[in-house]
Amino acid sequence: MDAAIAFLISPPAVLLISLLFEGIDRKIHARMQKRIGPPVTQPFYDLIKLFSKERIVPITASARVFETMPMIAAAVSLLGASILLSNILSGSSVIGDLILVMYLLAMSSVALMIGGSASGNPYGVVGFSRKMSMMIAYEIPMFIAIISVAFGSSPSLAINNIIRFQISLGLPLAASRPSMALAAATFLLCMPAAASVVPFDIPEAKTEIIYGFLIEYGGPYLALAKIAKAVSNFALTLLASAVFLYVPLLLGENVLLNLGISLSLCLIESLLIMFVTITVPRTVLARLKIGQAFKFYWMLPLILSISSIILSSVGL
Amino acid sequence: MVVKRSTERTEKEVEYTRLRIPFGPVHPALKEPVLLRISVRGEEIIDVDMTLGHVHRGIESLAEGRNLIQTLYLIERICGICSHSHTTCFIQALEEIGSIIPSERALYLRTLIFEMERIHSHLLLLGVMAYEIGFDTLFMFTWHVREKILDLFEKITGNRIHHAMNTIGGVRWDLTSQMAGEVKAYMREIEKSTKYIHSAFTDGTVEKRICNLGVLDYNDAIKLCVVGPTARGSGVNIDVRKDHPYAAYDELKGDFSVITRKDGDVYARTEVRIFEVFESINIIKAILDRLPNGSIRPEENVFRIMKRIPEGEAVSLVEAPRGELLYFVKTDGKGGLIRLKVRTPTFSNLLSLKRMLVGCEIADIPVIVASIDPCLSCTNRVTIINQEKGKSKVIDMDSLRRMVRRKWMRR
Amino acid sequence: MKSPWIFHLNTGSCNGCDIEIVAAFTPRYDLERFGCLLVGSPRHADVLLVTGPVTRQMLPRLIRVYEQIPEPKVVVAVGTCASSGSPFLGSEMVEGPVDRIIPVDAYIVGCPPRPEAIARGIIMAVMSKFR
Ligand code: SF4
Repeated sequence: MDAAIAFLISPPAVLLISLLFEGIDRKIHARMQKRIGPPVTQPFYDLIKLFSKERIVPITASARVFETMPMIAAAVSLLGASILLSNILSGSSVIGDLILVMYLLAMSSVALMIGGSASGNPYGVVGFSRKMSMMIAYEIPMFIAIISVAFGSSPSLAINNIIRFQISLGLPLAASRPSMALAAATFLLCMPAAASVVPFDIPEAKTEIIYGFLIEYGGPYLALAKIAKAVSNFALTLLASAVFLYVPLLLGENVLLNLGISLSLCLIESLLIMFVTITVPRTVLARLKIGQAFKFYWMLPLILSISSIILSSVGL
Repeated sequence: MVVKRSTERTEKEVEYTRLRIPFGPVHPALKEPVLLRISVRGEEIIDVDMTLGHVHRGIESLAEGRNLIQTLYLIERICGICSHSHTTCFIQALEEIGSIIPSERALYLRTLIFEMERIHSHLLLLGVMAYEIGFDTLFMFTWHVREKILDLFEKITGNRIHHAMNTIGGVRWDLTSQMAGEVKAYMREIEKSTKYIHSAFTDGTVEKRICNLGVLDYNDAIKLCVVGPTARGSGVNIDVRKDHPYAAYDELKGDFSVITRKDGDVYARTEVRIFEVFESINIIKAILDRLPNGSIRPEENVFRIMKRIPEGEAVSLVEAPRGELLYFVKTDGKGGLIRLKVRTPTFSNLLSLKRMLVGCEIADIPVIVASIDPCLSCTNRVTIINQEKGKSKVIDMDSLRRMVRRKWMRR
Repeated sequence: MKSPWIFHLNTGSCNGCDIEIVAAFTPRYDLERFGCLLVGSPRHADVLLVTGPVTRQMLPRLIRVYEQIPEPKVVVAVGTCASSGSPFLGSEMVEGPVDRIIPVDAYIVGCPPRPEAIARGIIMAVMSKFR
């Protein structure tokens, strides 16, 4: 597909799919709790409602920052996800590479964080500091994992080159070498924290700090924040499935040529990844404390990612 | 030049680095309003201040203007979780004043509902604990189990929450043999589920969150006069059911034991509650096995009994799910009350919160607060004292009616 | 409207109503299947559930929470206490019932109302207000 067209149709597609993913996540979560759960389309209803609500900016907030940050967050994460999707769609990598995508996704959480702390609510401030520490905890291993990919595959961070590389190998990246398996494991371990779900939803803990930086957002702002979150979750799962575990190639050449099939395979896979890294932890685990989460991330994933980068630099 | 760095922070520095966070009165972790003013440095709590009275409805003063039967239903509404404890305690005081001795069967039935209420309350709290640490699935499961107890309540008394079981001299509803069978069957089910809940509380992330947290040691527990599971979690062996048996507990003494734990942390308090559920199940089984026959109340017309209660005063104690509940009742001999005083277990326990919270993190507040199982609607009922005139106001029934009428007219 | 988000405010209730509201979200009743969510911040909410007879201390909070909820909003008084004030009518400390302070769209009576009743009340109030 032409890159320009791919980039044009990506944003709406991303929005649609990520909201659908969120709906599926909520449904499965409910079913696992013996409940019926909301319909899969529930996130759409939520958004429609939120957009039709009144905008309120608290007087304690610095209005400009408070108002613009959710927009930036939503736009940035949408951009990141669309780059990713259009790369997969178009089969060329003119637009951006892995680092850019990762950066955009991180920036979307930073934007929300700043907006929340500008609300003037003490819980927003606590949420800010918690998110800050959480980001230091999970972003570092995550980035190291991504960089070790560059060492491992053809020395490129362009998403399409990585996919091509996997196709030429005939194996998903994670299965190609031990170092890449470690990198993939690190990435997946960092997913729950990046998506900030239980056990790592510390910055947004409802019963502790009432959603942290989201506390004062309501109506359209909240809708934008929700979009930012849903889209970046989807982008992360898609990233994991495209970069580390590109399964369509397992079905042979002729499948690869058919864009529809390989794309839907990719999506199904990211759905599975979402189930394993987001839905299951948030159903079966309890929330950790910030110190415990920090310890966890700087013990396991950091060591994994560093050993992955060492292994890959010696060519394993 | 040698720069000497002081390791001690100055007062001012502390002032700068601390952030004051109001915890409540409206907060999703609290089902009831209380205001904890918490000062933190980073995540660490350095001071706690408490404000109560958000649920103060002036029940004691209202009770003094109503007759005994009306008061019975009023104090049932002090608390929706331990309503039966409140009425039992009140009724016991009345029965002592009027020297009315309820039949054996009535006492056993009272005890039955009492223990079912304890199971209900403990399960509810375990669910809330799970909710506070973000473990929604366990919360859902626990409350699902709790629904079964509510079903039983509904079968026996006709109501899920406010059972209205007690009446002066007995109970209002009888237990048929079919119901007894159902209760027994349910108890087996609940025992199984509670075992499962216990195993969920002992594993992985849950344990990490609640072990060695909010420690209240034995000496502090004694000094702060905590009661109920909070005290028993710190190794203090007190239980009104054993120490001053009431209702049918005298005969059931051998069927249960007092659960204590030494550690005094949140986990110990939780475990005490879990094992108390098993003890309650044992008591219920014993009650169903030995339920004596007989009538459940002396007379259909409660007003006639009410009239027979002379002037007098009495103190009564029961072991509510949260600990020792105390009532002081003074009647006027004409079917009304001169003074009612309620001392609830949460009132004794709340002060220990400060000891538990200081030094912990913000993330621990909800769990620790939940671990003493605060029931604030119980706690907040101080008598109204009109500050300007300096006397408490007592409203009689007539003026109450007048006020009600006026209120409706105004609308 | 298919996603009423609920904020629950206890203005001095006895807990009976509060636990029934929470029970309405547990597996047996599962209000979430109608898209309802129990949120913790009034800024996120559409529906305000008020329980209790509104004590003097909670009066300013009630008003503040009501004003914090963005328009359009629905207020539902849950329980006899919130609907009419009894059995606490006549107490010096009680300022309620709720409809003397803020406009109420639906009353769910019962002491406490059953979770089914609460679910129905919320859904009907939302339906009639938003159509
Ligand atoms: S209506 Fe009944 S159950 Fe609800 S808060 Fe009032 S007294 Fe309690």
